[in-house]
Amino acid sequence: MDIITMIIAALFSQNFVLVQFLGICPFLGVSKKIDSALGMGIAVTAVMVLTCLVTYPIYAYVLIPLKIQYLYILVFILVIASLVQMLEMFLKKFSPGLYSSLGIYLPLVTTNCAILGIAKTVTATVSEGAIVSMAFSLGGAVLSGLLYGLGFTLAIVLLAGLRSKVDKLNIAKPLRGFPITLITACFMAMAFYVFTLVA
Amino acid sequence: MTNVLLFAEQSFNFVGVLLAFGITAGFALVMGVLILVVSHLCAVEEDPRIKQVEGCLAGANCGGCGYPGCSGYAKALVDGTATLDACGQTCADKKAEICGILGVEMGSTEPTICVNACCGGTQCNDKYSYQGLGDCVSQNALAGGSKACSFGCMGAGSCADACPYGAIEVKDGYAQIDPALCRSCGICISTCPKKLIKRIPASAKVFVACSSECRAKEVMSQCKVGCIACGKCARVCPNGAITMVNNVPVIDYSKCTNCGTCAEGCPRHCIKYVHGDK
Repeated sequence: MDIITMIIAALFSQNFVLVQFLGICPFLGVSKKIDSALGMGIAVTAVMVLTCLVTYPIYAYVLIPLKIQYLYILVFILVIASLVQMLEMFLKKFSPGLYSSLGIYLPLVTTNCAILGIAKTVTATVSEGAIVSMAFSLGGAVLSGLLYGLGFTLAIVLLAGLRSKVDKLNIAKPLRGFPITLITACFMAMAFYVFTLVA
Repeated sequence: MTNVLLFAEQSFNFVGVLLAFGITAGFALVMGVLILVVSHLCAVEEDPRIKQVEGCLAGANCGGCGYPGCSGYAKALVDGTATLDACGQTCADKKAEICGILGVEMGSTEPTICVNACCGGTQCNDKYSYQGLGDCVSQNALAGGSKACSFGCMGAGSCADACPYGAIEVKDGYAQIDPALCRSCGICISTCPKKLIKRIPASAKVFVACSSECRAKEVMSQCKVGCIACGKCARVCPNGAITMVNNVPVIDYSKCTNCGTCAEGCPRHCIKYVHGDK
């Protein structure tokens, strides 16, 4: 897959939030302000890159040779959660500025389905008879982690921008707050659906 | 049938079960040890008083003090960059406890409440019909709002939306604050584009519900309940607690005895009782 196709797929036609509907919780929960949405997006991107970097070798060099691929959810969640915990402690010690802006979002995304989704995506396999081999290279896996993370950031920042406008409008009382946010997200998903038809 | 047989065959695969168990446990062990090591390497020393002070605060995380949540405020208190006055909701004995932890003198921390210094609302004329975004800042940006009085509450309810305690309601066209629910966090004060909301002592019974600095003739043409600066309240106050400043009365609450003479005497009924009608 050439890089342009990959970028378009990750940002638009296979967007994690608006096309694959993964990671809806932070998408709706942390999209009130553009600043916090951007922080969440960066945290998700960072954790996605880390996830790809770690889960790919585990899947390729531990789970496949031992033929225990079915354990992937358990092992991935365990490893990702611990690593994010360590990353948080590392940031707290060595970069308090980054910690105060990202620190609160990191624990929120550890067990997010978007993170497990990216791990599942990049560890896709191709089997020829009995031989099972990985569909991506490690570099490709990390790159797609970064791109899908940016796709998530794009979606959440766009929604935050729309919400900050919508909140000021005179909306019928029963629709204020979350209902109108869900409707906004729905229209965004419909708009992104067009990309899947084109691609 | 074949499925059942397969399952029966697999269920005897103890090696597979042990392998799965071993791998999972192995990963858990490695990660656990790594976390332990990293947490020791990256331990950050924190002043233990921060946690103690945070435990004494109200914990509502309203942000009224201007710091990000109660933990940020606790840190500022320990650093000495914030004072206890900034928090309107932690009760007096908890504040005394914090003073004990920090070893500082307890300042004047008399509880306060917020009041809206305007009671015009529907009694105040409109200068145009506003059709824009429904918040006060947007409305104020358009020629100072739709009210004829440039000091008046526009009643769009930005303060009510901002209030974390649901203490503010727009009734009769202006924001009214329920003193029983108000914790004096001050978020409404910074939200109101007209700067109409003021803090008064919680023990006070009366407040001036008009901020118009205009002269009587102008006020009369704009609003039925606006202060016309007749100065009657200042004259009838038995304690001399009221002075006229810029055409509105100002009550000195250190002299006020809550007798209510000013509110009784006001011909425009714009000196109001905090708790409704007396």
